[in-house]
Amino acid sequence: MGVVDKVNLPQPVKFVLNWGRKYSLWVMNFGLACCAIELIAASTSRHDFIRLGVIPVAHGPRQADLLVVAGTLTDKMAPALKRVWEQMPEPKYCISFGSCSNCGGPFWDSYSVTKGVDQIVPVDVYVPGCPPRPEALLEGIIRLQTMIADESLKERFERQHREAIIVGGPVGPVDLSNR
Amino acid sequence: MIDHVKEATGAVEREEVTPQGQIALHVTPANWHVVAEHLRRCPRCNFGMFNWLSAVDMEDQGFEVIVHLYSASSLQAVNIKTMVPRDGGSVRTLTDLWRGASFHERECWEMFDIGFDGHPHLVKLLLAEPFVGHPLRKEFLLMTREAKEWPGAKEPE
Repeated sequence: MGVVDKVNLPQPVKFVLNWGRKYSLWVMNFGLACCAIELIAASTSRHDFIRLGVIPVAHGPRQADLLVVAGTLTDKMAPALKRVWEQMPEPKYCISFGSCSNCGGPFWDSYSVTKGVDQIVPVDVYVPGCPPRPEALLEGIIRLQTMIADESLKERFERQHREAIIVGGPVGPVDLSNR
Repeated sequence: MIDHVKEATGAVEREEVTPQGQIALHVTPANWHVVAEHLRRCPRCNFGMFNWLSAVDMEDQGFEVIVHLYSASSLQAVNIKTMVPRDGGSVRTLTDLWRGASFHERECWEMFDIGFDGHPHLVKLLLAEPFVGHPLRKEFLLMTREAKEWPGAKEPE
């Protein structure tokens, strides 16, 4: 990334940088099932996540900052998700939207469904629901933006443990390293 | 129509009317392709449309392979059914009659391990490449279910 993830930035610089980042999240829509419909509903006029600065339909993963995995990920599809994630430039964030992508959901006993996309990509925000309402995604986005606002990129890249936000769960990031 | 197919091929063991009101022709695995070819090529039958192909695990009796055909000229549907043994059962491929049979036969092969002799490209279709086993066979164990019982009511018998 350059210098911003190597040194601790002065607070005003960090504030302006994070303010710019949190209100221009280009989203890569990885819609796999019915949750993708809720995701699309969140982008249209009634819920309208564009007013939060989330810009739907990045031209490709190389222009995206935020990956939303919405739907049932199968083992066959998992390499494609990994590939999309690795094409995205840092700093990048991932929202796991819906029970299927969180943990397998109703397909918990399936032979072909990946039980949680966090096995493939690191997830920053979990949105539970089957499918979650668009409002749940809006809350996930707002909480992601809150996290970005007081984030130090240096700390983010140096951090060894995994932290994630669970919508409807505890306030603030939860340490998931031991789960 | 059934009498005509019976006379022309001499390969239909018996016929039945399914609960959905469709005709099903039971054949031996050796006559699977013979009957299908007649239904496809004969101008009186003219079953030009391949709807689907699948199999049913009948446990001790083996696997019942079913193909569902439709004729756009007579607006009739017909099933061909055959019983293949559990181990090493196979039938001749129908891809030379209907190109669209290819995906159905690949799926049937990976899910049940039923062979389709003469298929041009019999590789996995839906399952991931490292997957071991044939998940639609009844003896296939769902490992998650082995670790944790199904939490809801038992499925109806």
